[in-house]
Amino acid sequence: MDIDDILREVDPSSSGLPSSTRDLQSLTRVWVAERSTPELQSWPTDGLVERVNGRIASQIERVEALTGDMDPRSNFALIVIQTELERYKFLVRSYLRARLAKVDRHALHYLSTPELRARLSPTELAYATRHQALLHNHYLASFLGSFGPSLQNLNDTSGNITMIDTPDLESAVFIRLLRDARVIGKGVDADGDVEGKTGDIIILRWSDAKPLVDTETAELV
Amino acid sequence: MALPLPQGLMPTEVAFLCEMEMLFTPPSDTVTPDHDAAITCMRNRKLRPACQPNLQGDTPALKPPHRAQMPLWLALLLKKQRRANIVPPAWLHPASLAEIIHHETNIDPQAFSPPPPPPTRAEGRTGRARPFQENIRSTREAPKPGDDPRLAPPFLPSCTADAPAGYLPYHWLELAEALLAHAADDVPQQAEVRALLRDLQEVRAAKMRGSTQSLEGGGGVVVLRGVGAMELAESRGFVLGVVDGVRKLGASAEATRRDEEANGGGGGRYGGGRGEFEDSDEEMEF
Repeated sequence: MDIDDILREVDPSSSGLPSSTRDLQSLTRVWVAERSTPELQSWPTDGLVERVNGRIASQIERVEALTGDMDPRSNFALIVIQTELERYKFLVRSYLRARLAKVDRHALHYLSTPELRARLSPTELAYATRHQALLHNHYLASFLGSFGPSLQNLNDTSGNITMIDTPDLESAVFIRLLRDARVIGKGVDADGDVEGKTGDIIILRWSDAKPLVDTETAELV
Repeated sequence: MALPLPQGLMPTEVAFLCEMEMLFTPPSDTVTPDHDAAITCMRNRKLRPACQPNLQGDTPALKPPHRAQMPLWLALLLKKQRRANIVPPAWLHPASLAEIIHHETNIDPQAFSPPPPPPTRAEGRTGRARPFQENIRSTREAPKPGDDPRLAPPFLPSCTADAPAGYLPYHWLELAEALLAHAADDVPQQAEVRALLRDLQEVRAAKMRGSTQSLEGGGGVVVLRGVGAMELAESRGFVLGVVDGVRKLGASAEATRRDEEANGGGGGRYGGGRGEFEDSDEEMEF
C-alpha cells in the first residue's frame, strides 16, 4: 500500500476507486455497449485501450520474471496472475473483434462522413480504407470493369436510393438506467413515456437509447 | 478475425461478467502454512505491483481468520484448490429465497421482485457493524449519489455476505449456479436452496414470457424492473426479434401517424380529423 492509497482511504470526498478498477469498469462497459448496439461506438478518447494494453504488457513481463525463478511459493501467485491476465485479454480481444465485425459489415458507411470516421481509431481507419480499396479493385477487375463508367461506383446515391448499406439504428436494445430519468421511446402505435428509476432494465429502440447512453444516464446490458 | 457472434451478449459472456461479482471468502482453516505463504506473498511489497495493476485493482491479504473480498473467479479458483471457503450471499439463504418467491407469486404476480436498493441505502437498512477492514473499504467504494463513475453490476457489492437479504441481484441465477456447482459445501441447506431456486426460476421465466404481451402492443418502451442478466440473455433473441418484427410490420402505419402528428401540431391526432385517418390506417393493415 503506498501513500496515495492511504490518503485515499482517509479522504472521504474521493470515490476510493483505484484507477485500475475504474479502467476495468470502463472497459467492461464499452465492451458490453459494443456487443449490444447495432452501430459502431466511438473509440474511447481518454486513452483507455492504451492504458489497458500497457497494463497487460507489464503483467506479461511480470509473468515472465516469475516463471524464471521456479519458487514453489510464487507458483500459486503466478496462476492467479495468469488467470487474471487471460480474462483481461479476453475483454480487450472481444471488444476489438466486435468493432472489427461492425467495420467489416458497413465499411463504406463508416468511411462516408467525417463524423462517422471520427468513431474509428487510427488503426481501424487504416484497416477500413485499405480493405475497401482492395475490395473495390477486386470488383473492378472481376466484373465492374465491363460495365459503363457511370455504373462502376460502389457508393452511388442517385435516384434517392443509396447503395451504402447502413446499420439499422432503430433496432431494439436493452439498457439499464444509472440514475432516475424520464425515458421517451418511439413506438408503432404510440410513443412511450416512462419515469424510470435507477436500476430499471428497459427495452427501447437504439435511436432513443443513444442520447441516454451518451449522457451516461444509462448503460447497455 | 471479426467476431462472428450476433448482436447482444451471449449467455457465456454474461457468465463471464458474473465472475467479476465480489464475494467474501474466509481462507479455510485447513490452509497449510505453505499454502498460506503462497497466498500472502502476493500481499507483500515485492509481489504486490504484479497483482495490483490488473483486474479488480487490489488483491486482498488472505490470513486465515479474516475474510477477504474478491471477485468470483478468484474465489472459485481458491475454492478448487481448497485454499478458501466462500461465504454465500444473504439472499441465497432458504428463508430469503422463500420470501422472494412469496413476493413473486402472491404480492406481485405481474412484475419481477424489486432489485436490491442502491448500496448507500442498503448500508443504512442493514445497519450492521462492519468488523473487517475489507468491509470498510467496500463502503467507501460504494457509489454515492452524484459521484462518478456510476457503478453497476457486476461492480456493485450486491453478492457479498453484507448485501441485504430478500432482493435478487442482477446476476442471481449465474452466481447461484456457480456457487452450487463448485462450492456446494459452503451453501447451507443446499438441497432446499436448489429446489427454491428452481421454483424461482420457473416463476420468473413465466413472467418473462408474459412480458412479450406488452412488446406486441408497440408502445415503444418496455420496463423490466428487477430482471436478471441470464433471463435477459436467454430470451434476448426472441424479445428483440419480436420488437423489431412489430416495428417493421407497423412501419408504414407509424410513418402515417408521425406525419399526422407533424401536420396537426402534436395533439392534432385527437382532433376532428381523426375519423378519416383511422380509416386510412385500417386500410393499410389489410
